[in-house]
Amino acid sequence: MKKFLFLSLFSLLILTGIFIYENLKFNDHKLHVVFCNVGQGDGIFVRTPTGQDVIIDGGPSDAILSCISSHTPFWDRTIELMFLSHPHLDHFVGLISVVQRYTALSFVTEELFNKTTSFQELISELHNQQIPERFVFAQDRFKTSDGVVFKIVGPTKDFLHRTSPEGIIGENKEFASLETLVEYGNFSVLLTGDSQDTELQDALDSGLIPKDGVKILQVPHHGSKSGLNPDLLQELNPKLAVISVGKNKYGHPTAEILNILRDKNIRILRTDQKGDIEFISDGKGWWFD
Amino acid sequence: MVYKLGIVLLLILIVRLGLYYQKESKHNNGQFMDLETTLFTQPQILGNYQKLTVSSDGRDKIFVTTTRFPRFNYGDYVRISGKIKIIQVQPTPNTSTLKGGLISNEKTILTMSFPKIEAVKISRNDPWYLLLSLASVIRQKVTVLFNVALPPASAGLLLGIVFGIKSSFSPEFTENLRTAGVMHVIAASGMNVTMIGGFLSSIFALLFRRQLALVFSIFGIIFYAFIAGLEPSILRATIMGIFGFSALILGRQYLGIYGLGLSAFLMLFISPQLLFDVGFQLSFLATFGLLYIRPIFQGKSLIGEDVATTLAAQLATLPVLLGNFGAYSLLSVIVNGLVLWTVPILMVLGGIGAVVGLVFAPLGKLFLYLSLPLLLYFQNVVSIFGNLGLKFQFQEFPLALSIGYYLVLASILMFIYSKKSKASL
Repeated sequence: MKKFLFLSLFSLLILTGIFIYENLKFNDHKLHVVFCNVGQGDGIFVRTPTGQDVIIDGGPSDAILSCISSHTPFWDRTIELMFLSHPHLDHFVGLISVVQRYTALSFVTEELFNKTTSFQELISELHNQQIPERFVFAQDRFKTSDGVVFKIVGPTKDFLHRTSPEGIIGENKEFASLETLVEYGNFSVLLTGDSQDTELQDALDSGLIPKDGVKILQVPHHGSKSGLNPDLLQELNPKLAVISVGKNKYGHPTAEILNILRDKNIRILRTDQKGDIEFISDGKGWWFD
Repeated sequence: MVYKLGIVLLLILIVRLGLYYQKESKHNNGQFMDLETTLFTQPQILGNYQKLTVSSDGRDKIFVTTTRFPRFNYGDYVRISGKIKIIQVQPTPNTSTLKGGLISNEKTILTMSFPKIEAVKISRNDPWYLLLSLASVIRQKVTVLFNVALPPASAGLLLGIVFGIKSSFSPEFTENLRTAGVMHVIAASGMNVTMIGGFLSSIFALLFRRQLALVFSIFGIIFYAFIAGLEPSILRATIMGIFGFSALILGRQYLGIYGLGLSAFLMLFISPQLLFDVGFQLSFLATFGLLYIRPIFQGKSLIGEDVATTLAAQLATLPVLLGNFGAYSLLSVIVNGLVLWTVPILMVLGGIGAVVGLVFAPLGKLFLYLSLPLLLYFQNVVSIFGNLGLKFQFQEFPLALSIGYYLVLASILMFIYSKKSKASL
């Protein structure tokens, strides 16, 4: 009994140490954007300078959970904002586990549905936990109190209705996917989900993306050849490209896309090679681990 | 007297096993099957799939693969209809977890891919069924509680240590746990039951008179067994615990080996297919090792309690470990020596956290936070040593070698014990 109490006190002491360490490490007043290594799929975690947590897609499995927990202090179990780019398995399954383990405050997505039981599971879990759901289109934006802007640059209502007149996402066809531009001071990351070049062109034409382009581009659709072309890349003018990809049977990322990027001398970081890829910015400069 | 009884029981068991194994398995490839069963094993999530283990007429195990949703849980009553597929298992270390065991003749396994599965709601007033439902609800609540409070790997570890609830760890961490030789800590093991029995009886002893405290302890470990999942190792320890406590109630002397023998007899008589179950083999051999090999190491000043326990259990189970998992790491003794001391403390902290948390979640969370430093220590030791490896790999561990091993082990033990008994004369 004495030994047990002693060890508990000792444990409390170490816990205090962990608390101080994690508080310094994760509340550093900088923006963190992490492309989580979730395998074939997308899972992006953002922590704003004042420690608000945002997730854009959850990947195909529970892999996102360890990514979130290794980039947040252990006591922070609130996800302030949760985006789903489009209702495909490799983007939303992880979100189900996220809402079961974290307190999610809001859920934002495009107005498309998927009839699978997995998607129904996500919807019913959101209902159970009374997490408000909101549909967004190009022009909508979210600004956190610390100055990080999540700007929806695509799809337009028109594009969505044209590609999915029934409001249901079709496999292997042209479909809409949320494109989110994350901006903090001089720093910007364009998150593209599974969008196609036509949709991205729409976004550029609408003027929602700054004229001088973006700092970091997430290569659309895990590097599928229908996501990007040289003209688009010229306009987007990214300093660095990230491909969120894992072992797959579709040949992602394709040689065409890799060549387009290499021709422009754009450095490529891949989650299947680097694991979690973390970008940090103080609003002026930016760097990555 | 005891020997005569033992021989009679052994003969009965041999007849029972003989009759059982005379009958060929009656499953054919592609055969349509429709079965209703209770899930006694928690379905595992693997990426986007869910793996269920069920048995047909309590005989052959069937490995069922289905979609991740809807989720099924331990204790659910389900109706499964689909086609059986018989798969030949190549004896390689990678597939060996599915293979039989030490003296197994299982070269094939039965699988079902994406059958129709529906949860059947039944309302029965059977007390065992009510116990199972209650245990299943508690299990799910505790899983949520731990997962909401702790990071995924830590939560999984604590669920395993306190309740023997198996979580899906990342592939790397699972591999490290195996290499480091500490799977037994997080798997539903007899150690959990033994410790719970010890805790409960000492707490009840403060509240009630002796006999009553022991009766409550028996109910306590039975309930724990239902929460932990009725795996062979848990059943073994529970039956032994019941014998042990009963002997205390009746004021009789209790010898571990009688409890072990009797629980083996009961379990095999009721479910002869357990003979080839890896968990059953490991649990019995390890307990045998604790009863007869550990005393030899104990008191040797150089090695600690935990190392003595680990060595004893490993010496007794080595051929089964190698035959089934294809690898053994020399470091596992060191890793066990480094982490086993945390297990009782984690069981107490996690146990209090669970009980308190079921009543008032935020307070339970505090106890779970308190376990975090120990869990992180555990995880780091496992990862560091797991990555070091130092594994012996075996493609196949021949049966003859296993038999030879046990003959040698038995001779050594008999030699040591005969010397001891002479010395005591």
